[in-house]
Amino acid sequence: MSVSVESDPESPEIDDAVPPARRRFGVAGWLAAGVALGLLLGLVAGLLIVPSFTRPGEDSAEAGFARDMSTHHAQAVEMGMLAHQKASDSDVRTLGGDIALTQQAQIGMMQAWLREWKLGPTGSQPRMAWMPEGSAGLENGLMPGMATDAERAQLRSATGKAFDVLFLQLMIKHHLGGIHMAEEVVKLTDNAEVLRLAQGMVANQRNEVAAFQQLLTKLGG
Amino acid sequence: MSISTPAGDKRRPSAVSTGKKPPAGKSSSSSTSSTSTARKPSTASKAAGTAARPGGKAGGAGGGGKGRKPITPVKVSQGRSWGPIAMFVAVGVIAAGIIGYGSWAAFKGSQPWEQKAADIDGIVNYRDNPDKTLTEANHAWGPLTYKLTPPVGGNHNYNWQNCMGDVYDAPIANEHAVHAMEHGAVWVAYKSGLAADQVEKLASKVRGNEYMLMSPIENLDHEVSLQAWGYQLKVDSVDDGRIDQFISALRQNATVEAGATCSGGITATGTTPRDIGKDQQGG
Repeated sequence: MSVSVESDPESPEIDDAVPPARRRFGVAGWLAAGVALGLLLGLVAGLLIVPSFTRPGEDSAEAGFARDMSTHHAQAVEMGMLAHQKASDSDVRTLGGDIALTQQAQIGMMQAWLREWKLGPTGSQPRMAWMPEGSAGLENGLMPGMATDAERAQLRSATGKAFDVLFLQLMIKHHLGGIHMAEEVVKLTDNAEVLRLAQGMVANQRNEVAAFQQLLTKLGG
Repeated sequence: MSISTPAGDKRRPSAVSTGKKPPAGKSSSSSTSSTSTARKPSTASKAAGTAARPGGKAGGAGGGGKGRKPITPVKVSQGRSWGPIAMFVAVGVIAAGIIGYGSWAAFKGSQPWEQKAADIDGIVNYRDNPDKTLTEANHAWGPLTYKLTPPVGGNHNYNWQNCMGDVYDAPIANEHAVHAMEHGAVWVAYKSGLAADQVEKLASKVRGNEYMLMSPIENLDHEVSLQAWGYQLKVDSVDDGRIDQFISALRQNATVEAGATCSGGITATGTTPRDIGKDQQGG
């Protein structure tokens, strides 16, 4: 008996040790269990009854990509339409029209996502904030590869072969910036639709960059 | 579990009253504390169920009979009851918090843009105005007259002003700007002569953002006037937080021609509309 007295507090196999042990875990232990269970319960119930838990949110990478790539694409559409209207080389004209039509359609897809996700076209975060160190990549507030106001004005006033060369140079830069953004969202998202479109952009725009470079060589730019 | 708290309290006096029994050895005391622990819930629930004081007393006597001191059951009862209570409170608060926040965020986030616009202090919604000429949308050539300065809608030129985040340094034609707003653009107008650093602050909100354009207006009645189709907000400081609110709520959302673009428009300044395409049309 006297032995069991001494071993009492430590020996777990004896019933006697249970109450002190319970007291030691006491409120803190129960509280920890409660926090864990509460988080689990809240998340499970939330996933079931709150639709916003299952779709990209206001500051998500998916929403940031949809908004920023829409803006990035819109400038490619502007430049592509200029090329379609006034390029002197027929291949450049064709490429300009292709870019404008494709990217305008993609803008429509991305804007439809935002509407489906109940998000507005204008985010509360700075451009590129959805990418790691993304906002550091802004140049004078413009996303990577975007033409400046001066470059856009230059392109509008250029004619003939000079226009073709400038268009190709600006579009190579534009595409490289766009490819970078699309690659980033591929790393960040598990949304099947976003992945499909972004992966397509990367593959397609890489091919177009190669085509631009060939055309530049042909034009002697 | 919540029953155990009052039951445990009720048990205290009965446990004390049975403390008169002669104390046993130390080992037996700790072993009885475990038996009393095991017994207590049933005793407590019985006591709560019958609400009979003698019954409770008897149960207490049985439990405490072998016990050494009344202190032990009291301590055990505290450890057993507060833990579960804390747990269930935590479960409830956290679960309710997550669901509540999620629901609130979903509700807030999915508010229609019209509601967000209506919440902006000082905004005027002309879409509800009985004067429908303010927001009618036919195409016309030549100079047009507008009742509002700057206009927020109405008939307009066939050509729209380019609104690819264009920052115009001179006044532009209302006839083109109205068409840009029909496409979903927010037109940021400022009073001519605004300090250069103030103009730059505004320009930084516009540049590089499609569905935005900016231009000065001579003798504007406020420092800054923001327009989208059917909406207007006039403020006197470029630092006014409502400027961002207006842009966020109305840019692109206010379009009455979903999907219409901002590129391919007039990029020249000057307040006389340019009737490009009129000759081909024979109008």
